[in-house]
Amino acid sequence: MVKIKVKLHTILNKYAKGEAKEGDSITLSKGTTLKGLADYLAIPEHMGLIFLVNNLPQDKNYILSEGDEVKAFSLICGG
Amino acid sequence: MNKYSNTQLRISLDTASHKTERINDKILKDYLGGVGYAAQLLYRELEPGIDPLSPANKLVFATGPLTSYRIPGGGSIQLCFKSPLTKVWGESRCGGDFGPDLKRAGYDYIIIEGRSPEPVYLFINDDEIQFKDARHLVGKTVSERTRIIKEELNESNISIMCIGIGGEKLVNIACVMFEDRAAGRGGAGAVMGSKNLIAIAVKGAGNPQPQNKEGFAVALKEARRIVKESETASGFRQFGTIGDMAGNDAAGDWPTKNWQSNNWGKAEELYDHYLANNFVKNSACYKGCPVACGRMVKVDEGEYKTPLHEGAEYESISAFTAFVLNEDVDAAIYSTYLCNELGIDTISAGALIAFAMECYEHKLISQEEADNLDLSWGNSQVLPILVEKIAQREGLGNLLADGVVMAAKKIGPQAEEFAVHCKGMEGPAHDPRSGKLLAVTYGTANRGMCHIHPLEGMAYDSGKMTWDMTSYGVPDPNTLDRWDEKGKGTITKALQDGLIMPDVLGVCKFLMYVGLTLEHYANLLSALTGWQLTGKDLIKIGERVSNTQRLFNVREGIKRKDDLIHQRVGSLPRFGLYHQEERCVIKDYEGMLEEYYQARGWDTATGIPQKHKLIELGLS
Repeated sequence: MVKIKVKLHTILNKYAKGEAKEGDSITLSKGTTLKGLADYLAIPEHMGLIFLVNNLPQDKNYILSEGDEVKAFSLICGG
Repeated sequence: MNKYSNTQLRISLDTASHKTERINDKILKDYLGGVGYAAQLLYRELEPGIDPLSPANKLVFATGPLTSYRIPGGGSIQLCFKSPLTKVWGESRCGGDFGPDLKRAGYDYIIIEGRSPEPVYLFINDDEIQFKDARHLVGKTVSERTRIIKEELNESNISIMCIGIGGEKLVNIACVMFEDRAAGRGGAGAVMGSKNLIAIAVKGAGNPQPQNKEGFAVALKEARRIVKESETASGFRQFGTIGDMAGNDAAGDWPTKNWQSNNWGKAEELYDHYLANNFVKNSACYKGCPVACGRMVKVDEGEYKTPLHEGAEYESISAFTAFVLNEDVDAAIYSTYLCNELGIDTISAGALIAFAMECYEHKLISQEEADNLDLSWGNSQVLPILVEKIAQREGLGNLLADGVVMAAKKIGPQAEEFAVHCKGMEGPAHDPRSGKLLAVTYGTANRGMCHIHPLEGMAYDSGKMTWDMTSYGVPDPNTLDRWDEKGKGTITKALQDGLIMPDVLGVCKFLMYVGLTLEHYANLLSALTGWQLTGKDLIKIGERVSNTQRLFNVREGIKRKDDLIHQRVGSLPRFGLYHQEERCVIKDYEGMLEEYYQARGWDTATGIPQKHKLIELGLS
C-alpha cells in the first residue's frame, strides 16, 4: 500500500468523496497510477486532467509512491 | 422574441445624418449575421489599403439572429472594422445588454461612416436617432461618461458603449467598453475615436417574434435545460475564467515573462490571494445570463485600492502577472481596472509592458526613454503608470501605443525577438507549447494572434472539449496526444468553421463549452426564421465566413509568411516545470500549416483561397 496526499482544484473538488481534502492522506494499492487515482476518485475520463506530483508534471501512467503529493487540475474552461 | 429585423442603421458622421436600409434574405441566408454579415459588408464597402484611422474606414456594430436576453448567451455584440493594430480584418466581441437592446430598437446592425467634426455621441431610441454634443465627455473615465450620459438622457434603462481616453488618443489597442466589459482586441476604440464618436446609447421597446413559436419554445427549453444541468456552467459560475489560472500554469498553458516560458509555478498562490482578498461575488454581463461567469472584485486598501467592479478575468490578470512576472495580485487588479476605465485592451497592454521590460533589460530602451522608470521584471509599481502612459500617449507610452510591431520597428531590429505577435496582434495568455492545435490557431486566425478563433486549443488538446464537433468528423481528442502535431492543421480548419458560429449567431462562445452544439443552434435558428438548417449547414456558412475574412486579408496583402508564428512561441521553455520538456517544442509548424491550407483549399505556396473553393462557397 502507498499513502499519498491529493489536492483537487476548482471543479474537481466535488469528486473528492470527502476523502481527499487538502492535507488528508489516501491509501492506495501499490502500483496505482494517476489514472488509477482518478478512477478511485470517480473522476470521469473526459475531464482533461493535468497532474503535478511533488510539483512536477506527470502523465496518467505515472506510478504513485509513498508520500507523493498530487495536485490535479481540469480546465473549467475558457477565458 | 427575436428574429431578424432585416434592418441596418447607417450613420454618416460627416453630415450627422442616418438612414435605415432593408437587408435582403439571400445575404442573411449566406452569412446569417454577426462577424459573417459584417465580413461581406466590409469586403464590399471598404477600399483596400485605406488608413484604418481615416474616415474611409467603417465600424460595424453587429448583432446576430440569436442575440436576445432570452437565449442563453444572447447578450452579445460584435464590432467589425479594419484594424489599426494589424491593418487587416478586425473584430471584437463584447458581452452585455447592448446587443439585445439594439435588436429591441429594431436594428440588426449599425454601420458607422465618416468622421464628425466635433466629438458626438448617438442616442438610438427605437426609430429616433439623435446626435448629441460630447465635448464635455472628452477626457473622462469610462464610468464617468457612462454615468453622465445616463443622467443627461434621464434614462437608467439604456445600454451604452463608449470609448475611453485611449480611443480619443487613437491608441491602436484602444477598446470599446460596455460598463466593465470590453470589445477589447484589435483597436475598435481607436477606429471609433478617429470618427469623433464617443459613445452610442441605445434603448428599444420592440419584441420581435419567432416564425415558429412552438418550435422555438421547444428548442429554447432544451437549450436552457442543458445549461442548467451543465457541470461547466456551474464551474464558470463558481470559479470564473480566473479559476483556470492554476491549471493552465500546471499544464504549461500560461505564457510567462514575455513568452520565455510556458509556466511560472506561481498561479496557485496568486489565485489563493485573489480568492481570500479580492473576490466578492459572481456576476452576469447581461440581464439574465444563466452562466454568470463574471467576477465582482475589489482591492480594499493601499496604493492599488479600487471600488467594487467587474474584473479579474483570466486573460487580464495573466497579462498583468505572468506576462510581466508580477506577484502582486492587487497591482494586477488595479492595473486592469485602470485599463477598463481608460479604454485600452488589457491583454495587449500587459503584453506591451512585458515587451518593454525585456527591451529595457537588454538596454534597447534607455533609462531616459523609459521615462526614468525602473522597468525591471516584476516591478508592480510601474504597471499602472505604464497603463496610464499608453492610454494618454505620454513618453514611453506613446511608443507602445502603436502596438508591438510598430514599437519594435522604432526601437530597432534587435527588439523583434521580443515582439511576440501574429499579424501584429500581441499574444494572449494561452501557450501552444501545452498543446499544438493552438499554434495553428494563432497563425491562421483572421484577426491575428487570437486564442478564441476557434476556441482555446488547449481545451481540445487536453481531451476535455469536442464541442460535439466529433459528429462532423473531428477526431476525438482522447485518441490523440496534446503534443502531437500531425493532424492538428486539418483539425484546426474544421474547428474554426464550426466554432466561429457563436460570433456569427450573436451569442457568447462559452455556451458551446457549456454544452450547446451546432445542432441546438440550428434548431433555434430554424424555428426563429422558418428556414430549415442543420449543424452541417452552419459549418458550411462558417467556412464561407472564414474565407470571406481571409479574402479581406489577402486583399490587404496577407500571405503565407503572415501565417507563421513567432519563433519564441514554439521554442523550449527557458525555465519552469517544462524547461527540459522537448515535447513542448513545435517541430514542424510549416507542416501543420501545409495541412491546414490543404484542408482549406488554399494555395499552399501563397495561402490564397483557390478558385474551386471560392466557387464551392459562392464567393467567386
